[in-house]
Amino acid sequence: MERQEIIDGLIEVLKTVRMIEPEKLVGVTEETDFLADMSVPSSQMIAIVAKVEQKFDIEFEDDDIDDLGSTVKDVVDLILKVKARG
Amino acid sequence: MDNIPGRKVAVVGMGGAFPTCKDLSEFSSKLFANKSLIRTFDDAMAYEKQVRSTVAGFITEPEMDLEVIWDPMEGIYPETYIDKLNRIPDANLATSDVGSIWSMLAAQNAIKMAGWSKDLVQSERTGVVIGSGGSANVILRTGWHNFYVYGRKTRHSGGHTVDRTMTYREAANVSVLIKNKGVCETISSACATGLGNIGYAYRLIKYGLQDRAITGGVESTSLETFIGFDGMMVLSRGFSPEESSRPFDMARNGFVCSFGAGIVALEEYEQAVARGADILGVIDEYFNNSDGDGDMFYPSFAGQQRLWKGVMAGSNEKPDVVKVHGTSTPSGDAIELLSVIDALGEDGYHISAPKSQFGHMLGGAGAVEFITALLMLKEQKVLPCLNSPNLNPELETFQKNPEWKGPMKPLAAYRHLLPQESFSKPINSIVCLNYGFGGTNSALKLSRYDK
Repeated sequence: MERQEIIDGLIEVLKTVRMIEPEKLVGVTEETDFLADMSVPSSQMIAIVAKVEQKFDIEFEDDDIDDLGSTVKDVVDLILKVKARG
Repeated sequence: MDNIPGRKVAVVGMGGAFPTCKDLSEFSSKLFANKSLIRTFDDAMAYEKQVRSTVAGFITEPEMDLEVIWDPMEGIYPETYIDKLNRIPDANLATSDVGSIWSMLAAQNAIKMAGWSKDLVQSERTGVVIGSGGSANVILRTGWHNFYVYGRKTRHSGGHTVDRTMTYREAANVSVLIKNKGVCETISSACATGLGNIGYAYRLIKYGLQDRAITGGVESTSLETFIGFDGMMVLSRGFSPEESSRPFDMARNGFVCSFGAGIVALEEYEQAVARGADILGVIDEYFNNSDGDGDMFYPSFAGQQRLWKGVMAGSNEKPDVVKVHGTSTPSGDAIELLSVIDALGEDGYHISAPKSQFGHMLGGAGAVEFITALLMLKEQKVLPCLNSPNLNPELETFQKNPEWKGPMKPLAAYRHLLPQESFSKPINSIVCLNYGFGGTNSALKLSRYDK
């Protein structure tokens, strides 16, 4: 799975999160930070993680989530890692 | 009992969520037009073979201009709600069950009617005291199902399970929305919850701890709540929806489970008068007690006698109307009517039973019925006791017990107190009564504002 394909899928997920304003989803790059750039309330990160698991048909380990950073790159890396783990 | 003097408390605003009604004004017109708000309960009919009763007073999300965003993984879990009219911000909707949303909308309406400025609302002297009878079942049902049945991770039960289901969720969500800086609490006392919260808020103001309060009770539409009572076999059965709730009638066989919210704005009387508020009523007294007879369910005549003594606080003046609890259950109504007779005598007042029109709203009942009392003061009309064509001409079984110390006439002797249609008369004061499982009794005396 290509990184851009994952970012596109991620944006699809973020579009379903009511508390993210649509204009914040324009021009998202790997450096975009969920908390700083998209103003996602930290309480909503759990919902996003659960939606990502559904979207990409994977299940994260608790440690994966505990260690997760808050940029798009961190999430893309993790998805690729978990996919590779099988 | 000594009555501790305190400050007077005015009611200056009200709002709510009512079955089959767009707003407070439609609620008022339907009630005074002797209409019933009870319908066939679609949620229960979907499980027709498993339920006993099939009617309820309920409110759907579209009726409140809300849209449910269902979780794609689990179709019966509301991930969040969208407010089609943009009254509540998304961040507040995310932490709410539907009852909390009704509470926030009702609080907005009550504050608007009260005419409180932002400074007054956000003051340290403004409290929020709201409660509900049951749990946030609609949120919980899938939370536990995901964990136990599907074996999913805890996060798949939703990151907001705690804030959307905690006992004081309605108070918390209203407080977070309006940003008051005074107390934020809930009182829970089963079907006396609605009046209990208002009574507690009244005391906070009376005794000088707060100057204003947003207060009331809620019960959000939930099949689980209905199932619990249906399983106890205490719900009305065998009548058309609009004839199902029939307090005091001989053919009554249970209450109609109902859902809704009632929120009022209370304010210290002198401050309300000083700012020229439109005063909807003045609370003269609130009193609550327990039966003390070791029975969870059965009403107590002695407990209600003590309740009346407390709420009258030494006054001999009869209220013009008694807004009864009147659930339409066989035992509750008879004891209640006879305890009213015992306290006030056989004439000189009327009895209004609003549950005959919209059923039993459980944790919301006392608050929504308090709003009906405010409407009776405003319209100077008594609300009826619908569906009560036949009162028992024989003595109740308990009246034949040699230990019975109450009135010795059958219920039919008091026909003149129970109007079957609304009618006009001068109303200066109303006593509101509500009781709950656990033997809890509550009473509030409300008066017309005397300019």
